[in-house]
Amino acid sequence: MATVLEISGMRKRFGGVVALAGVDLTIKSEEIIGIIGPNGSGKTTLFNSVCGVYTPDGGQVRWNGVEITGRPAHEIGRMGIARTFQQAMSFPSLSVRENVQIAMEHGCRRGDWEARRWSSAEELLRFVGLEEFADESANAMPFGNLRRLGIAVALGGRPSQLLLDEPAAGLNESESFALVQLFRAIHQLGVGVCLIDHHVQMMAELCDHLIVLHFGNKIADGPTEAVVRDEKVIEVYLGAES
Amino acid sequence: MAQWGRRLNKNPTSVAAVALQAKTRPPVGHAKGGVHPSRTFIIVTAVVVVAVLALPWMHPGYRLLSFAVTTCLTAIVLYGMAVPFGQAGIMSLGYAGLMGFGAYTAAILSRDLGMNMWQAMPFSALVAALFAGLFGLPSLRISGHHFAIVTWVMCELLRITLVNGGKFTGAATGLDLPPIGKAFGLDMDKLANAYLLVAAFMLLCMLATYLIANSRFGRTLRSIRENEQLARAIGVNTDLLKLTAFMASGVFAGIAGDLQAYNFRHISPDLYGGAVSMYFALMVMLGGPRTLFGPLTGALIVTFLPEVMRIDPIDSRIAYGVALIAVIMLLPGGIIAVTERGYRWLAEAVRGARKGVSSPGADSSTA
Repeated sequence: MATVLEISGMRKRFGGVVALAGVDLTIKSEEIIGIIGPNGSGKTTLFNSVCGVYTPDGGQVRWNGVEITGRPAHEIGRMGIARTFQQAMSFPSLSVRENVQIAMEHGCRRGDWEARRWSSAEELLRFVGLEEFADESANAMPFGNLRRLGIAVALGGRPSQLLLDEPAAGLNESESFALVQLFRAIHQLGVGVCLIDHHVQMMAELCDHLIVLHFGNKIADGPTEAVVRDEKVIEVYLGAES
Repeated sequence: MAQWGRRLNKNPTSVAAVALQAKTRPPVGHAKGGVHPSRTFIIVTAVVVVAVLALPWMHPGYRLLSFAVTTCLTAIVLYGMAVPFGQAGIMSLGYAGLMGFGAYTAAILSRDLGMNMWQAMPFSALVAALFAGLFGLPSLRISGHHFAIVTWVMCELLRITLVNGGKFTGAATGLDLPPIGKAFGLDMDKLANAYLLVAAFMLLCMLATYLIANSRFGRTLRSIRENEQLARAIGVNTDLLKLTAFMASGVFAGIAGDLQAYNFRHISPDLYGGAVSMYFALMVMLGGPRTLFGPLTGALIVTFLPEVMRIDPIDSRIAYGVALIAVIMLLPGGIIAVTERGYRWLAEAVRGARKGVSSPGADSSTA
């Protein structure tokens, strides 16, 4: 089932810093959507405001037509919006299997995730390529696998929309490449994928649609080919002289 | 970008291939959560249960037996503490106070309504659980030692309230209770029988804690301990679960209070102040809050050690302080957790020497 996450007029400020200055965007699950922008452009703040970590100062979030602005984080998680974190979060001293089990026991409560695609933690771990680490504790794994585990935990909750916050940060070229394949596979299952990243090449390769934020404002929003040629975007990324 | 494109075209990748396979593969049997008890673990548990219940037949003497009663009463509270502290990772210093709510509820119900120990028990448990929830409320906003200090203050406030409660709470003198009478055909005026009753409750509480730790509820509490923000993101209502964990532990404390009131037959505010709470915290950390035998071991050591070593009560406080620092620095996870690790290491070494291969050893932890 296709889903739509609509964000309109989202505003958030921290003291004198305006992190989001009225951002409008629509995230449809049919497309893989990328959000790019320099450091401090408001990307993570946007995710945090959608997911209930922050209460936005203004604006609306609608999920399949239902307003969810300012609801607590766990309610958003139960509605089928799952997210990962920049710092590759896990339940560090629990086993990899238990990490995924906990997620599978919670998460989305609506029954319309027609195929509960993974009937066991092992199956989900196989999907993300971590089955051999099931009995290890999460903090014993290398960083790249920790990133995958974060994605597995998010998927465990049977989400309809994934929001991935810099999933490839700190990974090398081949690890990022493998992640791109994983995101495609996730999208093929009918789960909406929206990600933040700095790696413009990777994003251009993976995403159907790009959104560019700059100092809390949206400066571009459109099909990837058009956005990467946009003059404003090139100026922000490469500097005015180019 | 060109490089990315090339690689994508050439490489029908492993992950995607695996991903698509995963859809068609038959589902693997649902993994049961928790620890499957090993044989060693079952044997050790059986030995402990038998030893606890057989104590009265070993001619222990009155003094030792009354210490054993205290140990069991304390251990009941500690098994309660093990739920929020061991599983959810939240340390509270209010447990003597919660035990006090249980004890005073029992004493007041006995005095005003003529209830006996059994009739008062559900009320003691309920009142202690409600106040445990109240004591736990600050944990939704503050954490770590800030929260511990707030709960310690609450415990002290209770003690001060009891001292100033006039006739209702018996003020500083406290309240008296009637004897338990007969239970299960045994005369509870005999200390050995009273011990058996309290020991049976202690073993039940041990079992309850084990079942909680190995349930879905226990797993969810561990997710809060490990990473609260992530737990919330996957849909765990962390606020509600923390309060539930506190209230569950309050039930243990309330039952312990009811049993204590009827075993001591006199209760006073001093039994339920902040200092006692500190001792509880020491015991549970010493033994190890995440292990099945940790709370019992902690209660045993702290109750019996001054007696065995004949230390002055004031000096023993210094010894406890030193012991606590030593445990935190040298034995993280408590004595039992370290013993287990040692045993596993030894078992593997022995097996390795015998077969030349290593395999996992015993596992008696509840989490």
